[in-house]
Amino acid sequence: MTDAEDRALLERIAKRDRLAFETFFGAHGADVHRFVRDLVRDDGLAEELTSDVMVEVWRGAGRFAGRSRVRTWVFGIAHHKAIDALRRSRGRTVPLDDLADQPSTTAGPEAAALHAAERDQLEAALASLSAEHRAVLELTYVGGFSQKEIAEVVGCPVATVKTRAFYAKGRLRDALGKAELPR
Amino acid sequence: MKHDVAELLPFYVNGTLEAPDRARVEAELATCAECSAELGDLRVLAENLRARAEAAPPPPQALLARTFAELAPEPTLATRLRSAWWSAPARYATAVVLVASVSAGAVAAWHLRESAGRDDRFGAPSSVVYVSRSSAPHADAMEMAAPPVKSGPRTVGAATSSVAQSHRLARTATLSLIVHDAEASRTRATDLTGALGGVVTALSDEGPASAGDVHVVHLTIEVGATRLDDALDRLAQIGTVQRREIDAEDLDASLVDQDARLRNLRREETALRQLMDKRGSVDEILTVEQKLSDVRGSIEELDAQHQRDLHRVATSTIALTLTEDHPHAAPPKPGPTARIDGAWQNGVRALADTVVALVSVLAWAVAFSPVLLGVAGLAYLAKRGIGRLRPTQT
Repeated sequence: MTDAEDRALLERIAKRDRLAFETFFGAHGADVHRFVRDLVRDDGLAEELTSDVMVEVWRGAGRFAGRSRVRTWVFGIAHHKAIDALRRSRGRTVPLDDLADQPSTTAGPEAAALHAAERDQLEAALASLSAEHRAVLELTYVGGFSQKEIAEVVGCPVATVKTRAFYAKGRLRDALGKAELPR
Repeated sequence: MKHDVAELLPFYVNGTLEAPDRARVEAELATCAECSAELGDLRVLAENLRARAEAAPPPPQALLARTFAELAPEPTLATRLRSAWWSAPARYATAVVLVASVSAGAVAAWHLRESAGRDDRFGAPSSVVYVSRSSAPHADAMEMAAPPVKSGPRTVGAATSSVAQSHRLARTATLSLIVHDAEASRTRATDLTGALGGVVTALSDEGPASAGDVHVVHLTIEVGATRLDDALDRLAQIGTVQRREIDAEDLDASLVDQDARLRNLRREETALRQLMDKRGSVDEILTVEQKLSDVRGSIEELDAQHQRDLHRVATSTIALTLTEDHPHAAPPKPGPTARIDGAWQNGVRALADTVVALVSVLAWAVAFSPVLLGVAGLAYLAKRGIGRLRPTQT
Protein backbone atom coordinates (compact mmCIF):
# COMPACT_ATOMS: atom_id res chain seq x y z
CA MET A 1 0.00 0.00 0.00
CA THR A 2 1.45 3.38 -0.99
CA ASP A 3 1.59 6.35 1.33
CA ALA A 4 -1.01 8.15 -0.82
CA GLU A 5 -3.38 5.24 -0.27
CA ASP A 6 -2.61 5.29 3.45
CA ARG A 7 -3.35 9.00 3.61
CA ALA A 8 -6.63 8.56 1.77
CA LEU A 9 -7.61 5.85 4.24
CA LEU A 10 -6.59 7.99 7.19
CA GLU A 11 -8.74 10.85 5.92
CA ARG A 12 -11.69 8.50 5.79
CA ILE A 13 -10.87 7.08 9.23
CA ALA A 14 -10.88 10.63 10.59
CA LYS A 15 -14.46 10.82 9.31
CA ARG A 16 -15.26 7.67 11.29
CA ASP A 17 -15.37 5.34 8.29
CA ARG A 18 -15.16 1.84 9.70
CA LEU A 19 -14.62 0.18 6.35
CA ALA A 20 -11.54 2.35 5.84
CA PHE A 21 -10.35 1.37 9.30
CA GLU A 22 -10.81 -2.29 8.44
CA THR A 23 -8.77 -1.84 5.27
CA PHE A 24 -6.08 -0.01 7.21
CA PHE A 25 -6.02 -2.78 9.79
CA GLY A 26 -5.69 -5.31 7.00
CA ALA A 27 -2.79 -3.43 5.45
CA HIS A 28 -0.77 -2.66 8.57
CA GLY A 29 -2.11 -4.83 11.39
CA ALA A 30 0.20 -7.76 10.70
CA ASP A 31 3.31 -5.56 10.42
CA VAL A 32 2.51 -3.67 13.59
CA HIS A 33 1.76 -6.94 15.37
CA ARG A 34 5.08 -8.45 14.32
CA PHE A 35 6.98 -5.33 15.29
CA VAL A 36 5.53 -5.04 18.80
CA ARG A 37 5.73 -8.82 19.24
CA ASP A 38 9.45 -8.64 18.47
CA LEU A 39 9.86 -5.85 21.00
CA VAL A 40 7.87 -7.27 23.92
CA ARG A 41 8.30 -10.99 23.08
CA ASP A 42 4.90 -11.88 24.51
CA ASP A 43 2.03 -13.00 22.25
CA GLY A 44 -0.84 -11.87 24.47
CA LEU A 45 0.70 -8.49 25.17
CA ALA A 46 1.55 -8.05 21.47
CA GLU A 47 -2.10 -8.56 20.50
CA GLU A 48 -3.24 -6.12 23.15
CA LEU A 49 -0.69 -3.56 21.98
CA THR A 50 -1.60 -4.00 18.31
CA SER A 51 -5.20 -3.34 19.21
CA ASP A 52 -4.18 -0.29 21.28
CA VAL A 53 -2.12 1.07 18.38
CA MET A 54 -5.04 0.69 15.98
CA VAL A 55 -7.46 2.32 18.43
CA GLU A 56 -4.96 5.19 18.66
CA VAL A 57 -4.97 5.42 14.84
CA TRP A 58 -8.76 5.60 14.95
CA ARG A 59 -8.71 8.35 17.54
CA GLY A 60 -5.75 10.28 16.18
CA ALA A 61 -6.41 10.03 12.42
CA GLY A 62 -7.70 13.60 12.38
CA ARG A 63 -4.61 14.85 14.16
CA PHE A 64 -2.11 13.25 11.75
CA ALA A 65 -0.04 16.22 10.59
CA GLY A 66 1.19 14.61 7.38
CA ARG A 67 4.81 15.61 7.85
CA SER A 68 5.96 11.98 7.63
CA ARG A 69 4.75 8.84 5.92
CA VAL A 70 1.67 7.32 7.55
CA ARG A 71 3.62 4.13 8.17
CA THR A 72 6.28 6.06 10.10
CA TRP A 73 3.60 7.63 12.24
CA VAL A 74 1.94 4.26 12.97
CA PHE A 75 5.23 2.57 13.83
CA GLY A 76 6.04 5.54 16.08
CA ILE A 77 2.85 4.88 18.04
CA ALA A 78 3.63 1.16 18.13
CA HIS A 79 7.19 1.70 19.34
CA HIS A 80 6.06 4.11 22.03
CA LYS A 81 3.39 1.74 23.32
CA ALA A 82 5.67 -1.30 23.25
CA ILE A 83 8.52 0.40 25.12
CA ASP A 84 6.01 1.79 27.60
CA ALA A 85 4.60 -1.69 28.19
CA LEU A 86 8.09 -3.12 28.63
CA ARG A 87 8.95 -0.49 31.21
CA ARG A 88 5.74 -1.12 33.12
CA SER A 89 6.21 -4.89 33.06
CA ARG A 90 9.66 -4.50 34.54
CA GLY A 91 8.28 -2.24 37.23
CA ARG A 92 11.07 0.24 36.87
CA THR A 93 12.53 2.54 34.28
CA VAL A 94 15.15 0.79 32.22
CA PRO A 95 17.71 3.10 30.65
CA LEU A 96 17.30 1.40 27.29
CA ASP A 97 19.27 4.03 25.45
CA ASP A 98 22.30 3.56 27.69
CA LEU A 99 22.24 -0.16 27.18
CA ALA A 100 21.71 0.06 23.48
CA ASP A 101 24.73 1.98 22.37
CA GLN A 102 27.60 0.10 23.97
CA PRO A 103 30.10 -1.27 21.49
CA SER A 104 30.10 -5.01 21.01
CA THR A 105 32.91 -6.98 22.56
CA THR A 106 34.49 -8.43 19.46
CA ALA A 107 35.36 -6.69 16.25
CA GLY A 108 35.76 -7.70 12.64
CA PRO A 109 33.22 -9.34 10.34
CA GLU A 110 32.35 -12.96 10.94
CA ALA A 111 30.31 -13.53 7.86
CA ALA A 112 30.18 -17.23 8.52
CA ALA A 113 28.18 -16.70 11.70
CA LEU A 114 25.31 -15.15 9.78
CA HIS A 115 25.56 -17.43 6.78
CA ALA A 116 25.26 -20.48 8.99
CA ALA A 117 22.61 -19.05 11.25
CA GLU A 118 19.72 -21.41 11.70
CA ARG A 119 16.30 -19.94 12.35
CA ASP A 120 16.20 -20.77 16.07
CA GLN A 121 19.76 -19.57 16.57
CA LEU A 122 18.72 -16.27 15.06
CA GLU A 123 15.70 -16.26 17.37
CA ALA A 124 17.84 -16.87 20.43
CA ALA A 125 20.35 -14.26 19.35
CA LEU A 126 17.61 -11.67 18.81
CA ALA A 127 16.17 -12.49 22.22
CA SER A 128 19.51 -11.66 23.82
CA LEU A 129 19.47 -8.13 22.34
CA SER A 130 17.88 -5.09 23.96
CA ALA A 131 14.42 -4.11 22.74
CA GLU A 132 15.87 -0.97 21.16
CA HIS A 133 18.42 -2.98 19.19
CA ARG A 134 15.71 -5.35 18.00
CA ALA A 135 13.57 -2.36 17.03
CA VAL A 136 16.26 -0.77 14.92
CA LEU A 137 17.11 -4.08 13.18
CA GLU A 138 13.47 -4.72 12.38
CA LEU A 139 12.85 -1.17 11.19
CA THR A 140 15.95 -1.11 9.00
CA TYR A 141 15.99 -4.54 7.39
CA VAL A 142 12.34 -5.57 7.43
CA GLY A 143 10.49 -2.26 7.54
CA GLY A 144 12.82 -0.58 5.04
CA PHE A 145 12.74 2.73 6.90
CA SER A 146 15.38 5.45 6.36
CA GLN A 147 17.61 6.74 9.18
CA LYS A 148 15.48 9.85 9.52
CA GLU A 149 12.27 7.86 9.69
CA ILE A 150 13.67 5.49 12.31
CA ALA A 151 14.77 8.50 14.35
CA GLU A 152 11.19 9.68 14.23
CA VAL A 153 9.75 6.26 15.11
CA VAL A 154 12.00 5.67 18.12
CA GLY A 155 12.25 9.33 19.09
CA CYS A 156 16.00 9.92 19.09
CA PRO A 157 18.55 11.81 16.96
CA VAL A 158 19.61 10.44 13.57
CA ALA A 159 23.18 10.00 14.81
CA THR A 160 21.91 7.67 17.55
CA VAL A 161 20.01 5.61 14.98
CA LYS A 162 23.17 5.11 12.93
CA THR A 163 25.19 4.10 15.98
CA ARG A 164 22.43 1.82 17.15
CA ALA A 165 22.05 0.10 13.77
CA PHE A 166 25.80 -0.47 13.70
CA TYR A 167 26.08 -1.89 17.20
CA ALA A 168 22.84 -3.87 16.97
CA LYS A 169 24.34 -5.82 14.11
CA GLY A 170 27.60 -6.29 16.05
CA ARG A 171 25.76 -7.59 19.09
CA LEU A 172 23.66 -9.93 17.00
CA ARG A 173 26.83 -11.27 15.40
CA ASP A 174 28.37 -11.79 18.85
CA ALA A 175 25.27 -13.61 20.04
CA LEU A 176 25.27 -15.82 16.95
CA GLY A 177 28.95 -16.52 17.48
CA LYS A 178 28.26 -17.68 21.04
CA ALA A 179 25.34 -19.81 19.95
CA GLU A 180 27.65 -21.76 17.68
CA LEU A 181 30.04 -22.73 20.46
CA PRO A 182 29.57 -26.29 21.70
CA ARG A 183 28.31 -26.46 25.28
CA MET B 1 36.86 0.65 6.79
CA LYS B 2 35.81 4.16 7.72
CA HIS B 3 33.47 4.19 10.72
CA ASP B 4 31.01 6.70 9.25
CA VAL B 5 30.70 4.60 6.10
CA ALA B 6 30.17 1.46 8.20
CA GLU B 7 27.31 3.25 9.92
CA LEU B 8 25.72 4.09 6.57
CA LEU B 9 25.93 0.54 5.20
CA PRO B 10 22.67 -0.73 6.78
CA PHE B 11 20.79 2.04 5.00
CA TYR B 12 22.67 1.38 1.78
CA VAL B 13 21.40 -2.19 2.04
CA ASN B 14 17.79 -1.15 2.58
CA GLY B 15 18.03 1.38 -0.25
CA THR B 16 17.07 4.49 1.70
CA LEU B 17 20.31 6.52 1.48
CA GLU B 18 20.14 9.87 -0.21
CA ALA B 19 22.33 10.44 -3.25
CA PRO B 20 25.39 12.08 -1.57
CA ASP B 21 25.62 9.39 1.13
CA ARG B 22 25.05 6.67 -1.42
CA ALA B 23 27.87 8.03 -3.57
CA ARG B 24 30.19 8.11 -0.55
CA VAL B 25 29.40 4.51 0.33
CA GLU B 26 29.86 3.37 -3.25
CA ALA B 27 33.20 5.14 -3.53
CA GLU B 28 34.37 3.43 -0.36
CA LEU B 29 33.06 0.04 -1.51
CA ALA B 30 35.07 0.31 -4.71
CA THR B 31 38.35 0.44 -2.82
CA CYS B 32 37.76 -1.26 0.53
CA ALA B 33 37.50 -5.04 0.57
CA GLU B 34 36.49 -5.03 4.24
CA CYS B 35 33.53 -2.80 3.38
CA SER B 36 32.42 -5.18 0.64
CA ALA B 37 32.63 -8.11 3.02
CA GLU B 38 30.60 -6.19 5.59
CA LEU B 39 28.05 -5.35 2.89
CA GLY B 40 27.69 -9.02 2.00
CA ASP B 41 27.28 -9.79 5.68
CA LEU B 42 24.53 -7.20 6.08
CA ARG B 43 22.71 -8.44 2.99
CA VAL B 44 22.62 -11.95 4.46
CA LEU B 45 21.38 -10.52 7.75
CA ALA B 46 18.65 -8.56 5.93
CA GLU B 47 17.62 -11.68 4.03
CA ASN B 48 17.46 -13.73 7.23
CA LEU B 49 15.43 -11.12 9.07
CA ARG B 50 13.02 -10.72 6.16
CA ALA B 51 12.56 -14.48 5.87
CA ARG B 52 11.94 -14.64 9.59
CA ALA B 53 9.37 -11.83 9.34
CA GLU B 54 7.57 -13.57 6.50
CA ALA B 55 7.33 -16.72 8.58
CA ALA B 56 6.01 -14.86 11.63
CA PRO B 57 2.48 -15.83 12.68
CA PRO B 58 -0.14 -13.26 11.68
CA PRO B 59 -2.32 -11.70 14.37
CA PRO B 60 -5.42 -13.80 15.12
CA GLN B 61 -8.51 -13.12 13.01
CA ALA B 62 -10.45 -12.12 16.11
CA LEU B 63 -8.12 -9.20 16.81
CA LEU B 64 -9.92 -6.93 14.33
CA ALA B 65 -13.28 -7.70 15.95
CA ARG B 66 -11.79 -7.06 19.38
CA THR B 67 -10.39 -3.73 18.21
CA PHE B 68 -13.72 -2.84 16.65
CA ALA B 69 -15.37 -3.57 19.99
CA GLU B 70 -13.09 -1.00 21.59
CA LEU B 71 -14.18 1.58 19.05
CA ALA B 72 -17.89 0.96 19.74
CA PRO B 73 -19.58 3.75 21.64
CA GLU B 74 -20.80 3.19 25.20
CA PRO B 75 -24.35 1.80 25.37
CA THR B 76 -26.79 4.66 25.63
CA LEU B 77 -28.92 5.35 28.68
CA ALA B 78 -32.00 4.35 26.71
CA THR B 79 -30.53 0.93 25.85
CA ARG B 80 -29.58 0.26 29.44
CA LEU B 81 -32.98 1.36 30.75
CA ARG B 82 -34.72 -0.85 28.24
CA SER B 83 -32.76 -3.94 29.17
CA ALA B 84 -33.24 -3.24 32.88
CA TRP B 85 -36.93 -2.83 32.29
CA TRP B 86 -37.40 -6.15 30.53
CA SER B 87 -35.23 -8.11 32.86
CA ALA B 88 -37.05 -6.80 35.96
CA PRO B 89 -39.69 -9.12 37.43
CA ALA B 90 -42.30 -6.41 37.31
CA ARG B 91 -44.21 -8.00 34.49
CA TYR B 92 -47.67 -8.02 36.08
CA ALA B 93 -47.57 -4.28 36.54
CA THR B 94 -46.13 -3.94 33.06
CA ALA B 95 -49.02 -5.91 31.63
CA VAL B 96 -51.52 -3.42 33.00
CA VAL B 97 -49.50 -0.45 31.79
CA LEU B 98 -48.97 -2.03 28.39
CA VAL B 99 -52.60 -2.84 27.78
CA ALA B 100 -53.45 0.74 28.68
CA SER B 101 -50.73 2.24 26.53
CA VAL B 102 -51.04 0.13 23.40
CA SER B 103 -53.60 2.48 21.94
CA ALA B 104 -51.58 5.56 22.86
CA GLY B 105 -48.45 3.84 21.52
CA ALA B 106 -50.09 3.19 18.21
CA VAL B 107 -50.70 6.89 17.76
CA ALA B 108 -47.12 7.72 18.75
CA ALA B 109 -45.79 5.07 16.39
CA TRP B 110 -47.39 6.74 13.44
CA HIS B 111 -45.47 9.88 14.28
CA LEU B 112 -42.27 7.91 14.72
CA ARG B 113 -42.70 6.14 11.44
CA GLU B 114 -43.06 9.44 9.71
CA SER B 115 -39.97 11.02 11.26
CA ALA B 116 -37.65 7.97 11.36
CA GLY B 117 -37.45 4.83 9.26
CA ARG B 118 -35.44 6.26 6.40
CA ASP B 119 -32.10 5.34 8.02
CA ASP B 120 -33.28 1.99 9.29
CA ARG B 121 -31.63 0.10 6.46
CA PHE B 122 -29.86 -2.37 8.65
CA GLY B 123 -32.08 -2.44 11.68
CA ALA B 124 -30.11 -3.36 14.76
CA PRO B 125 -27.98 -0.54 16.24
CA SER B 126 -24.93 -2.84 16.33
CA SER B 127 -24.72 -2.74 12.56
CA VAL B 128 -23.97 0.99 12.57
CA VAL B 129 -20.57 -0.18 11.32
CA TYR B 130 -21.96 -0.72 7.90
CA VAL B 131 -24.51 2.03 7.67
CA SER B 132 -24.36 3.29 4.15
CA ARG B 133 -23.06 6.80 3.56
CA SER B 134 -25.33 7.03 0.64
CA SER B 135 -28.40 4.99 -0.04
CA ALA B 136 -28.92 7.01 -3.17
CA PRO B 137 -29.35 5.19 -6.46
CA HIS B 138 -26.32 4.14 -8.43
CA ALA B 139 -25.93 7.20 -10.64
CA ASP B 140 -26.15 9.62 -7.73
CA ALA B 141 -23.70 7.63 -5.68
CA MET B 142 -21.17 7.78 -8.45
CA GLU B 143 -21.37 11.50 -8.56
CA MET B 144 -21.01 11.80 -4.82
CA ALA B 145 -18.02 9.50 -4.73
CA ALA B 146 -16.06 11.34 -7.36
CA PRO B 147 -12.41 10.76 -6.37
CA PRO B 148 -10.96 13.60 -4.35
CA VAL B 149 -7.74 15.17 -5.62
CA LYS B 150 -5.02 14.24 -3.15
CA SER B 151 -2.37 16.72 -2.10
CA GLY B 152 0.54 14.29 -2.48
CA PRO B 153 2.98 15.29 -5.19
CA ARG B 154 2.74 12.00 -7.05
CA THR B 155 -0.99 11.62 -6.80
CA VAL B 156 -3.70 12.91 -9.03
CA GLY B 157 -7.43 12.57 -8.87
CA ALA B 158 -9.71 10.85 -11.32
CA ALA B 159 -7.61 9.57 -14.13
CA THR B 160 -8.83 8.35 -17.45
CA SER B 161 -7.37 5.47 -19.36
CA SER B 162 -5.72 7.63 -21.99
CA VAL B 163 -3.92 9.67 -19.31
CA ALA B 164 -2.80 6.44 -17.65
CA GLN B 165 -0.94 5.44 -20.76
CA SER B 166 0.86 8.69 -21.46
CA HIS B 167 1.84 9.32 -17.82
CA ARG B 168 2.48 5.76 -16.70
CA LEU B 169 0.11 5.82 -13.77
CA ALA B 170 -0.43 2.99 -11.34
CA ARG B 171 -4.12 3.14 -10.71
CA THR B 172 -5.97 1.53 -7.85
CA ALA B 173 -9.66 1.65 -7.17
CA THR B 174 -11.87 1.08 -4.19
CA LEU B 175 -15.44 -0.01 -4.72
CA SER B 176 -17.84 -0.70 -1.86
CA LEU B 177 -21.21 -2.14 -2.70
CA ILE B 178 -24.31 -2.92 -0.70
CA VAL B 179 -25.79 -6.16 -2.00
CA HIS B 180 -28.67 -8.37 -1.06
CA ASP B 181 -26.86 -11.70 -1.22
CA ALA B 182 -23.09 -11.52 -0.62
CA GLU B 183 -22.55 -15.11 -1.73
CA ALA B 184 -24.28 -14.69 -5.10
CA SER B 185 -22.68 -11.29 -5.63
CA ARG B 186 -19.24 -12.72 -4.97
CA THR B 187 -19.80 -15.33 -7.65
CA ARG B 188 -21.01 -12.64 -10.05
CA ALA B 189 -17.96 -10.47 -9.31
CA THR B 190 -15.64 -13.44 -9.86
CA ASP B 191 -17.35 -14.33 -13.14
CA LEU B 192 -17.22 -10.72 -14.29
CA THR B 193 -13.51 -10.54 -13.44
CA GLY B 194 -12.90 -13.60 -15.58
CA ALA B 195 -14.91 -12.10 -18.43
CA LEU B 196 -12.79 -8.95 -18.25
CA GLY B 197 -9.59 -10.97 -18.43
CA GLY B 198 -8.70 -10.14 -14.84
CA VAL B 199 -7.89 -12.25 -11.81
CA VAL B 200 -9.03 -12.31 -8.22
CA THR B 201 -5.79 -12.09 -6.25
CA ALA B 202 -7.26 -12.10 -2.74
CA LEU B 203 -10.58 -13.07 -1.25
CA SER B 204 -11.79 -12.88 2.28
CA ASP B 205 -15.30 -13.97 3.08
CA GLU B 206 -16.34 -13.02 6.58
CA GLY B 207 -19.50 -15.02 7.02
CA PRO B 208 -21.59 -13.77 9.90
CA ALA B 209 -20.45 -15.43 13.13
CA SER B 210 -23.55 -14.71 15.13
CA ALA B 211 -26.99 -13.24 14.75
CA GLY B 212 -26.85 -9.54 14.02
CA ASP B 213 -23.53 -9.76 12.14
CA VAL B 214 -23.45 -8.61 8.56
CA HIS B 215 -21.97 -10.81 5.84
CA VAL B 216 -19.03 -8.99 4.25
CA VAL B 217 -16.85 -10.18 1.38
CA HIS B 218 -13.59 -8.49 0.36
CA LEU B 219 -12.07 -9.18 -3.04
CA THR B 220 -8.90 -7.86 -4.56
CA ILE B 221 -9.15 -7.88 -8.31
CA GLU B 222 -6.46 -7.18 -10.89
CA VAL B 223 -7.49 -6.11 -14.37
CA GLY B 224 -5.65 -4.62 -17.32
CA ALA B 225 -5.13 -0.89 -16.71
CA THR B 226 -7.13 0.07 -19.80
CA ARG B 227 -10.15 -1.91 -18.62
CA LEU B 228 -10.34 -0.40 -15.12
CA ASP B 229 -13.19 2.01 -15.86
CA ASP B 230 -15.15 -0.61 -17.73
CA ALA B 231 -14.57 -3.09 -14.88
CA LEU B 232 -15.71 -0.59 -12.26
CA ASP B 233 -18.87 0.25 -14.21
CA ARG B 234 -19.78 -3.39 -14.61
CA LEU B 235 -18.93 -4.37 -11.03
CA ALA B 236 -20.97 -1.42 -9.77
CA GLN B 237 -24.08 -2.95 -11.31
CA ILE B 238 -23.92 -5.84 -8.84
CA GLY B 239 -25.26 -3.71 -6.00
CA THR B 240 -25.81 -0.22 -4.69
CA VAL B 241 -22.62 1.82 -4.76
CA GLN B 242 -21.61 2.94 -1.30
CA ARG B 243 -18.19 4.23 -2.29
CA ARG B 244 -16.22 4.41 -5.50
CA GLU B 245 -12.74 5.89 -5.57
CA ILE B 246 -9.84 5.87 -7.96
CA ASP B 247 -6.31 6.67 -6.88
CA ALA B 248 -3.44 7.09 -9.27
CA GLU B 249 0.25 7.24 -8.55
CA ASP B 250 2.52 8.64 -11.24
CA LEU B 251 5.39 6.18 -11.56
CA ASP B 252 6.89 7.85 -14.60
CA ALA B 253 9.73 9.63 -12.77
CA SER B 254 10.59 6.56 -10.73
CA LEU B 255 10.55 4.29 -13.81
CA VAL B 256 12.85 6.66 -15.68
CA ASP B 257 15.15 6.78 -12.66
CA GLN B 258 15.17 2.98 -12.41
CA ASP B 259 15.99 2.75 -16.11
CA ALA B 260 18.96 5.08 -15.73
CA ARG B 261 20.26 3.32 -12.64
CA LEU B 262 19.91 -0.08 -14.27
CA ARG B 263 21.86 1.13 -17.31
CA ASN B 264 24.64 2.45 -15.05
CA LEU B 265 24.81 -0.75 -13.08
CA ARG B 266 24.94 -2.88 -16.23
CA ARG B 267 27.76 -0.69 -17.56
CA GLU B 268 29.59 -1.16 -14.27
CA GLU B 269 29.04 -4.90 -14.52
CA THR B 270 30.55 -5.00 -18.00
CA ALA B 271 33.55 -2.98 -16.85
CA LEU B 272 34.11 -5.33 -13.92
CA ARG B 273 33.90 -8.39 -16.15
CA GLN B 274 36.57 -6.87 -18.38
CA LEU B 275 38.70 -6.28 -15.28
CA MET B 276 38.30 -9.94 -14.32
CA ASP B 277 39.71 -10.98 -17.69
CA LYS B 278 42.91 -9.05 -17.06
CA ARG B 279 44.78 -11.33 -14.73
CA GLY B 280 45.88 -9.73 -11.49
CA SER B 281 46.86 -10.92 -8.03
CA VAL B 282 44.53 -13.25 -6.12
CA ASP B 283 43.57 -10.37 -3.82
CA GLU B 284 42.62 -8.19 -6.74
CA ILE B 285 40.56 -10.93 -8.36
CA LEU B 286 38.74 -11.58 -5.08
CA THR B 287 37.97 -7.90 -4.64
CA VAL B 288 36.66 -7.57 -8.18
CA GLU B 289 34.64 -10.75 -7.77
CA GLN B 290 33.03 -9.42 -4.58
CA LYS B 291 32.26 -6.12 -6.25
CA LEU B 292 30.80 -7.92 -9.23
CA SER B 293 28.50 -9.99 -7.06
CA ASP B 294 27.36 -6.83 -5.29
CA VAL B 295 26.58 -5.16 -8.59
CA ARG B 296 24.68 -8.24 -9.72
CA GLY B 297 22.73 -8.14 -6.46
CA SER B 298 21.84 -4.49 -6.98
CA ILE B 299 20.81 -5.13 -10.58
CA GLU B 300 18.54 -7.98 -9.56
CA GLU B 301 16.98 -5.94 -6.77
CA LEU B 302 16.41 -2.91 -8.94
CA ASP B 303 15.21 -4.98 -11.87
CA ALA B 304 12.66 -6.71 -9.65
CA GLN B 305 11.42 -3.33 -8.44
CA HIS B 306 11.31 -2.12 -12.05
CA GLN B 307 9.26 -5.12 -13.15
CA ARG B 308 6.94 -4.67 -10.19
CA ASP B 309 6.36 -1.04 -11.06
CA LEU B 310 5.80 -1.84 -14.73
CA HIS B 311 3.28 -4.46 -13.64
CA ARG B 312 1.56 -1.88 -11.45
CA VAL B 313 1.25 0.42 -14.46
CA ALA B 314 -0.01 -2.34 -16.73
CA THR B 315 -2.59 -3.65 -14.29
CA SER B 316 -5.00 -1.91 -11.96
CA THR B 317 -6.10 -3.22 -8.63
CA ILE B 318 -9.67 -2.98 -7.43
CA ALA B 319 -10.45 -3.45 -3.75
CA LEU B 320 -14.04 -4.61 -3.84
CA THR B 321 -16.14 -4.88 -0.71
CA LEU B 322 -19.56 -6.51 -0.79
CA THR B 323 -21.68 -5.86 2.28
CA GLU B 324 -25.07 -7.51 2.72
CA ASP B 325 -27.94 -5.14 3.31
CA HIS B 326 -29.32 -7.09 6.24
CA PRO B 327 -27.86 -8.58 9.42
CA HIS B 328 -27.65 -12.36 9.64
CA ALA B 329 -30.86 -13.96 11.09
CA ALA B 330 -31.99 -10.50 12.02
CA PRO B 331 -33.15 -10.16 15.60
CA PRO B 332 -36.45 -8.30 16.13
CA LYS B 333 -35.89 -4.93 14.64
CA PRO B 334 -36.66 -2.01 16.90
CA GLY B 335 -38.34 -0.08 14.10
CA PRO B 336 -41.67 1.55 14.99
CA THR B 337 -43.84 -1.27 13.65
CA ALA B 338 -41.63 -3.94 15.16
CA ARG B 339 -41.60 -2.12 18.46
CA ILE B 340 -45.39 -2.15 18.54
CA ASP B 341 -45.30 -5.85 17.62
CA GLY B 342 -42.85 -6.51 20.45
CA ALA B 343 -44.85 -4.45 22.89
CA TRP B 344 -48.03 -6.26 21.89
CA GLN B 345 -46.41 -9.69 22.27
CA ASN B 346 -44.95 -8.76 25.63
CA GLY B 347 -48.32 -7.35 26.70
CA VAL B 348 -50.14 -10.50 25.69
CA ARG B 349 -47.54 -12.62 27.46
CA ALA B 350 -47.83 -10.52 30.61
CA LEU B 351 -51.62 -10.66 30.44
CA ALA B 352 -51.47 -14.44 30.10
CA ASP B 353 -49.13 -14.55 33.10
CA THR B 354 -51.59 -12.46 35.08
CA VAL B 355 -54.52 -14.68 34.12
CA VAL B 356 -52.54 -17.78 35.03
CA ALA B 357 -51.66 -16.23 38.38
CA LEU B 358 -55.28 -15.29 39.08
CA VAL B 359 -56.51 -18.77 38.08
CA SER B 360 -53.85 -20.27 40.36
CA VAL B 361 -55.10 -18.18 43.25
CA LEU B 362 -58.65 -19.28 42.45
CA ALA B 363 -57.65 -22.94 42.25
CA TRP B 364 -55.83 -22.60 45.54
CA ALA B 365 -58.96 -21.09 47.08
CA VAL B 366 -61.15 -23.94 45.72
CA ALA B 367 -58.71 -26.56 47.01
CA PHE B 368 -58.74 -25.04 50.46
CA SER B 369 -62.50 -24.30 50.39
CA PRO B 370 -63.53 -27.03 52.96
CA VAL B 371 -61.04 -25.64 55.43
CA LEU B 372 -62.03 -22.07 54.63
CA LEU B 373 -65.76 -22.96 54.93
CA GLY B 374 -65.09 -24.75 58.23
CA VAL B 375 -63.26 -21.75 59.61
CA ALA B 376 -66.02 -19.43 58.39
CA GLY B 377 -68.72 -21.70 59.91
CA LEU B 378 -66.92 -21.84 63.25
CA ALA B 379 -66.55 -18.08 63.24
CA TYR B 380 -70.26 -17.69 62.51
CA LEU B 381 -71.28 -20.12 65.24
CA ALA B 382 -68.97 -18.48 67.71
CA LYS B 383 -70.46 -15.10 66.91
CA ARG B 384 -74.02 -16.43 67.36
CA GLY B 385 -73.08 -18.23 70.58
CA ILE B 386 -71.67 -15.05 72.06
CA GLY B 387 -74.85 -13.20 70.95
CA ARG B 388 -77.08 -15.69 72.81
CA LEU B 389 -74.99 -15.68 75.96
CA ARG B 390 -75.08 -11.90 76.35
CA PRO B 391 -78.85 -11.49 77.33
CA THR B 392 -78.68 -14.27 79.97
CA GLN B 393 -75.77 -12.57 81.56
CA THR B 394 -77.50 -9.17 81.79
